[in-house]
Amino acid sequence: MRRRSSLPVTFLVPTLAILLVLSMVPTLYAIVIALQNRELSTTGYSWVWFSNFADLFLDRRFLNAVWVSVKWEVVTVVATMVVAIGLGVLMFEVAGPRLRNFYCLLFIIPVLLPRVSAAFVWKFAYHPLYGIATYPYRLITGGLIFDPLSKPATALFAVASVDVWQWGLFFAVIVLKLLETLPPQPIEAARLDHAKRWQIHAYVTLPMLKAPLISLMFVKMIESLRSFDLIYVMTRGGPGVATETLDMYAFSQGFIESGKVSYASAMAVLMMIATVITFTMLWKRVQA
Amino acid sequence: MKPYPTRPGRLVAKAILALAGFLAVFPLLWTALNALKNNVDIITRVPKVIFTPTLANISYILGRDSVLTGLYNSVVACGSAVLIGVVLGLPAAYAVARYPNRFAGDIQFFVLSLRFLPPVAVAIPLMVIWLQVGLYDTLPALIVTYSLLTISVIIWLAIPAFQGVPKEIEEAAFVDGYGAYAVFWRIALPVAARSLIGAIAFSFVLVWNEFLIALMLSSSNAKTLPIVASELSQQGMNVPWGILNASVVLLSLPPLLFLGVLSGFLNSVFRQKKS
Repeated sequence: MRRRSSLPVTFLVPTLAILLVLSMVPTLYAIVIALQNRELSTTGYSWVWFSNFADLFLDRRFLNAVWVSVKWEVVTVVATMVVAIGLGVLMFEVAGPRLRNFYCLLFIIPVLLPRVSAAFVWKFAYHPLYGIATYPYRLITGGLIFDPLSKPATALFAVASVDVWQWGLFFAVIVLKLLETLPPQPIEAARLDHAKRWQIHAYVTLPMLKAPLISLMFVKMIESLRSFDLIYVMTRGGPGVATETLDMYAFSQGFIESGKVSYASAMAVLMMIATVITFTMLWKRVQA
Repeated sequence: MKPYPTRPGRLVAKAILALAGFLAVFPLLWTALNALKNNVDIITRVPKVIFTPTLANISYILGRDSVLTGLYNSVVACGSAVLIGVVLGLPAAYAVARYPNRFAGDIQFFVLSLRFLPPVAVAIPLMVIWLQVGLYDTLPALIVTYSLLTISVIIWLAIPAFQGVPKEIEEAAFVDGYGAYAVFWRIALPVAARSLIGAIAFSFVLVWNEFLIALMLSSSNAKTLPIVASELSQQGMNVPWGILNASVVLLSLPPLLFLGVLSGFLNSVFRQKKS
């Protein structure tokens, strides 16, 4: 009787149709705009085909943005996974059930915050004169000034630290929950063989969790693409172009500096192609 | 499992955990504290813990039209988008979970792949589209755009929630003469309710926190709270810091209200995996 029902059709078709329209219309339109020369200030436009894309590859600021985006992805994904696995294992090892619940609750808080809030919280904290995070430095050095957000060498890492603060702590909770789902026998067996604690995790538990940990990393790679809010609030891509990621550059080309919507859209289309291809391939491999 | 005897390593581990727990909440607590300070107590080289609290910042924030409009826009836009996400997403998720067909895998991948789209790539064309149809800078435009987010996230999270409902209960209802729709309404929805609420809360937090799309799709009338808050800071460093801190606190409160629901949701997801 389940088979005959009209339910799957009535429940799925309208929703999927709406999702398809909502996603395909902007996607296709982004490509159309990228092939034109629209600007915000004027209404007329003509077709320029691939010249926007050709210009991009000669644009050194674009190439810089690609490089910054790649750095951002690598730094935030790696740091998040290291923090998550480290803290997850530590909670598993030394915290009892009640303490675990307590830490889990604390560690979920940062990720719930709007990125704009998190960015502000840390922008205040990193303030060279009045910030709470730079206070220890002022205290130790007797009032020297440390301004992580305005130095090209440190700005990206200072912003990335906020991302890791949000996601690393949250993923630590998930790593702990994953460890808790493991059967105890292999751990007991390793312990009987006099394996050290870190050895148990390095050679037994973490390899057992390889698949979910890779999925977790995959999720983080996707979420790391959404760096715009943090960077917009904390540095605006500065100092100079040190933290200008692709979405930041596309935004400033399209809206702040010149209103070159088509040029910005060409950038967005390249990002879209790159991420869709990369993640589709990764996803198929993760699933396989 | 018997615990190992106490060693210095365990103490170090506990200290690291305590430090991480402290780092998780302290910056936020400090911001909340600053929201209660007069400016002179914030702009000090040595952080002040003891000060005379003031409610001036908070009342200033709550008295500003731009903040109240932002709050209203955020509530209406996110509320409507979540409602649309529930109405369209939950049935679709149930159909995928309970009526397996050869497209189920593709549907799940399609829904997930929507998350791969860079927000800029969606926002730029949508801005041009909404400008052309005359809906730019209106709440309906924002609601429709956010619905894409809420529908896909709710489907993604609700599929496992419906799969967690014991099949036997549904089979029994069929035997009792319930139709397919009645089983969904009267059995699957109520049984899965707890996990579903977690999924819905998650989608709300996601759109409440959304920034880039709101920034690009609004110029004055439809600004959401994150946009208003970010603009407060752009009036230069002369802006009273207490007011900024107060606006951050106001912006952060709604998602934090869901802390309990979401951590319960997380627990139920993993309990399901274990069994």
